[in-house]
Amino acid sequence: MQINGGSVIAMVGKNCVAIASDLRLGNQALTVATNFEKVFPVTDRIYLGMAGLATDVLTLRERFRFRVNMYTIKEEREIEPETFAHLVSSTLYERRFGPYFIEPIIAGITSPAKGSKPFIAGADLIGCLNFAKDFVVVGTASDELFGIAEGLWEPDLEPEDLFETISQTFLNAVDRDAFSGWGAIVHIITPEKVITRKLQARMD
Amino acid sequence: MARRYDSRTTIFSPEGRLYQIEYAREAISHAGTVLGILAKDGVVLAAEKKVTGKLLDLSSAKEGGYGGSGEKIFLLNSNVIAGVAGITADANSLVNYARTAAQRHLFSYNEDIPVEQLAQRLCDLKQGYTQYGGLRPFGVSLLYAGYDVHYNFQLYHSDPSGNYSGWKATCIGANNGTAQSLLKQEYKDDITVEEAIGLAVRVMGKTMDSTTLGSEKLEFAVLTLDKTTKQPHAKIYKPAEIDALLSKHGLAKKEEDAEMRAV
Amino acid sequence: MECQVALTGKGYVLVAADTVAARSIVKMKHDEDKIKVLGSHLLMSYSGEPGDTVQFAEYIERNLRLHQIRYLQPLRPSPAAAWIRRQLADSLRSRSPYSVNLLVGGYDIATSEPHLYWVDYLGTLAHVPYAAQGYGSYFVLSLLDRYHNPEATLEEGIETLKRCIAEMEKRLIVGLGKFKVKIVDKDGAREIEL
Repeated sequence: MQINGGSVIAMVGKNCVAIASDLRLGNQALTVATNFEKVFPVTDRIYLGMAGLATDVLTLRERFRFRVNMYTIKEEREIEPETFAHLVSSTLYERRFGPYFIEPIIAGITSPAKGSKPFIAGADLIGCLNFAKDFVVVGTASDELFGIAEGLWEPDLEPEDLFETISQTFLNAVDRDAFSGWGAIVHIITPEKVITRKLQARMD
Repeated sequence: MARRYDSRTTIFSPEGRLYQIEYAREAISHAGTVLGILAKDGVVLAAEKKVTGKLLDLSSAKEGGYGGSGEKIFLLNSNVIAGVAGITADANSLVNYARTAAQRHLFSYNEDIPVEQLAQRLCDLKQGYTQYGGLRPFGVSLLYAGYDVHYNFQLYHSDPSGNYSGWKATCIGANNGTAQSLLKQEYKDDITVEEAIGLAVRVMGKTMDSTTLGSEKLEFAVLTLDKTTKQPHAKIYKPAEIDALLSKHGLAKKEEDAEMRAV
Repeated sequence: MECQVALTGKGYVLVAADTVAARSIVKMKHDEDKIKVLGSHLLMSYSGEPGDTVQFAEYIERNLRLHQIRYLQPLRPSPAAAWIRRQLADSLRSRSPYSVNLLVGGYDIATSEPHLYWVDYLGTLAHVPYAAQGYGSYFVLSLLDRYHNPEATLEEGIETLKRCIAEMEKRLIVGLGKFKVKIVDKDGAREIEL
């Protein structure tokens, strides 16, 4: 889990969710790339973030894209966040005794038919789901993220306030972690649109 | 004589023919017409639906989904759409195979499958069914309309034998001869998508048996490049959009027809 | 002690690798080519477990050649890199994984862009402007942080590459001797002399 480094966080707001990752890809203490995003769009309204072994981040992103595309094209509708969370869980548990070394975070908004409600979930590396109501954190800076999020997060934040909260939480946490950082990317998901912003961070 | 060589599996007749494949082609020539037109900035597919009727439940085609009734035009991948003519059950199985093949390519190469490669994949499968014992060939011809960076917009046709070829404009199914000669007359090399849509509607109007066109007998799709993202965008028309298109080209049902139907 | 360096510039990728084939403390060979030309516009340098490296590189080389024969066009750099990554990622969880680290450089004729990918034996893939593998990377990456310019002409790129090689020669405890350098640009992949 500490080979490549990296951290991801997701937070719930009022009718919106936010998810952020850092951009570092390391090889032990050596930084190899500073453009390695760990959050991927699953549908227009669902994002998946993964922290851990980078090769598994890439493999799983490709596996989930395959499964979700086949689901979408056959069902002729987009997958619900909760359904997707269970897809993630069962895919990880399939490798119970030789796991993918990643921890996933799912952030999304349910379909209008299901009330456009915010949804976040995290899981461990074998797919034990955690349906949090406030925030979920994973990665090498997870301890720091937990502490700061516990202090800064409050319920019913509007999209712009949620952006400020998640950004401050994330930047201050990864600054204390040698394996995460080198810039960050934040996605704010609302029922209408997704706002994506790159954050300036300490580059050391 | 023929009966000795075509009753069981696909084996050569003494004249060197494969009757099962010829019969499969025959099945297709009775199917609903599908035509494709390649333009410089897109590809157009139009298809005639055969399964119609007042009692047919079309609610799923009206809203949601990708549009289309799932009878003639299918989305194979984000960069390829296909029109099918022939035995619908065989077509569904091929469409599923194509979708899986496209996703497997995306999985291995992290890029959308090139259109010709996808056509080749299906043709490998179709060819296999003309050779291995105990199987009958797929009774389906397909038109593939697609985009990739190698050859930009493309239009391919594949038949039950597993042959495929690229076209500027072509037609399969019932009355394909009439349609093809019409297309040959009217096709220009620098045709735009808008002109191609008009041409497709006009040719369909002439080849279809019914005198008036309507969304219950037509399927329509266009593949273009999204202006902002430069990514291929497949649009399969919903029934209301088809009716709007037809009235724009003056081929829609007359008002009194609608009134008569209402009564 | 194997080292590879690669960098992109305006319309090209330069890939350099040492030429030493060593067993234990002995240099067995001074002219080993560790950069394979995988296609008209694709290069791959490799290092790692002796035996695995050449075996894996030839496996990739022959499969990409087969692809080109079958489909009449070579894979572009991005899909080629994705496919090579998948081979390593699958190998990692097989009974006998390859331990090979790579730098994949290519020129995309469709978009007229140079691309460089850093790939390790785990199947990690990173799209980067410059990269290095081996102990040399600890010196060379910081040099490239300072001197790399994505808009650099070929002469400037070669100048930067020479700096990198000189630094490795100076700071690594064992000299690596001559480096083999290959370039890929719109005219294709070929070897050049520094």
